[in-house]
Amino acid sequence: MLAVAAVVAVIAYFALSGVGNALVYYLTPSELLARGDRAFDETVRLGGLVKPGSVSGPATDLRFVLTDETHEIPVHSTVAPTSSFRAGVGAVVEGRLGRNGVFEATQVLVKHDENYVAPSPGAVPSHIVGS
Amino acid sequence: MRTRILGFGALATVALAAMFGLFVVPADLNQGDAQRIMYVHVASAWIAYLSFIVTALAGIGWLVRRDLRFDAVALAGAEIGVIFTALAIWGGMMWARPVWGTFWQWEDPRLTTTALLLALYIGYLLLRRLSDDPRRRATRAAVVGLVAAVDIPIVHFSVIWWRGLHQAPTFGSPDRLLHPAAPMQFVAALLLMLLAVTLAWLYLMIRRYQLARLETLLEEAARLGRLRSARASVARTAPVDITAAVDAAAPQPSRSTSSAEEPAR
Repeated sequence: MLAVAAVVAVIAYFALSGVGNALVYYLTPSELLARGDRAFDETVRLGGLVKPGSVSGPATDLRFVLTDETHEIPVHSTVAPTSSFRAGVGAVVEGRLGRNGVFEATQVLVKHDENYVAPSPGAVPSHIVGS
Repeated sequence: MRTRILGFGALATVALAAMFGLFVVPADLNQGDAQRIMYVHVASAWIAYLSFIVTALAGIGWLVRRDLRFDAVALAGAEIGVIFTALAIWGGMMWARPVWGTFWQWEDPRLTTTALLLALYIGYLLLRRLSDDPRRRATRAAVVGLVAAVDIPIVHFSVIWWRGLHQAPTFGSPDRLLHPAAPMQFVAALLLMLLAVTLAWLYLMIRRYQLARLETLLEEAARLGRLRSARASVARTAPVDITAAVDAAAPQPSRSTSSAEEPAR
């Protein structure tokens, strides 16, 4: 019965901490900026859409802008993302927001959505179109 | 014989679905060939859900009917579910590295709750080894199996409830069942794979159930054997033949009770 109680406790912890928003995998640009002064120099994950037309530089010195359609934060990264990274895609970056307003990312993850596209005549993978 | 036919049928369907997913259907335009892992990944997760739900239902069956055959079904479900949960996690990791850029993220709700699911049911299988009394074991397992099943909907809806890296279901959410966000040929490949693994699951469940029943019989035979040899050794070492003494103590009018009183002196 003690084992059962422990299992219930673990599940309850997961459920409640998730509902209580302690289990937030990433912050949106609006949420990070709303933190005010606490937003700076703390390691966080930031998620949003890669703003079309904002991607520049080689993969190891990459600059782009993450947006949630309300606020946007420029990101700089020296680690190359996967080839599925492209303008318009969702991305989650880990790192810290500098005082200069640029987010220095130590990891760039590409958040794939649930939509699938079959190749058809004339169709081009969107990472070629996007960047 | 029918089970064997089912087994070969399942094998053939799995092979067909694999061929279809690998060579007939094109790969996703953006993800490339890594997307083909999705067919096996989603199918594994489906079998994991199905197995653990069966384990929970069989647990209720045992608690209500007190028939050990329910417990054999519960065991089969938990073991097969653990294997397929591990497969789903492994396939997901193989897909995540080329697409996301990482094998694993602990804070992602879908990934973490799935890891918890695996841990819960490994715990369930360990718990089953704690007791060699089949009835006590069945009761404990039924309770833990029911509690652990709470995690199944949490895993499934985690991608809808909470923000994470894992994408929402393409087919498996209520508003998407009739309007999947994928071309029909992808849907067809996935449905074929789902059918194939479900047939394979049915075959594995039947075989594991049969094995569990045999194990129960063996266990029973071993227990009886131990009982008999223990009786025999007691009879050999005790000053008085216990078996005879017990027989004698039973109310039998023709026999004297003096031999049964002897060890008391």
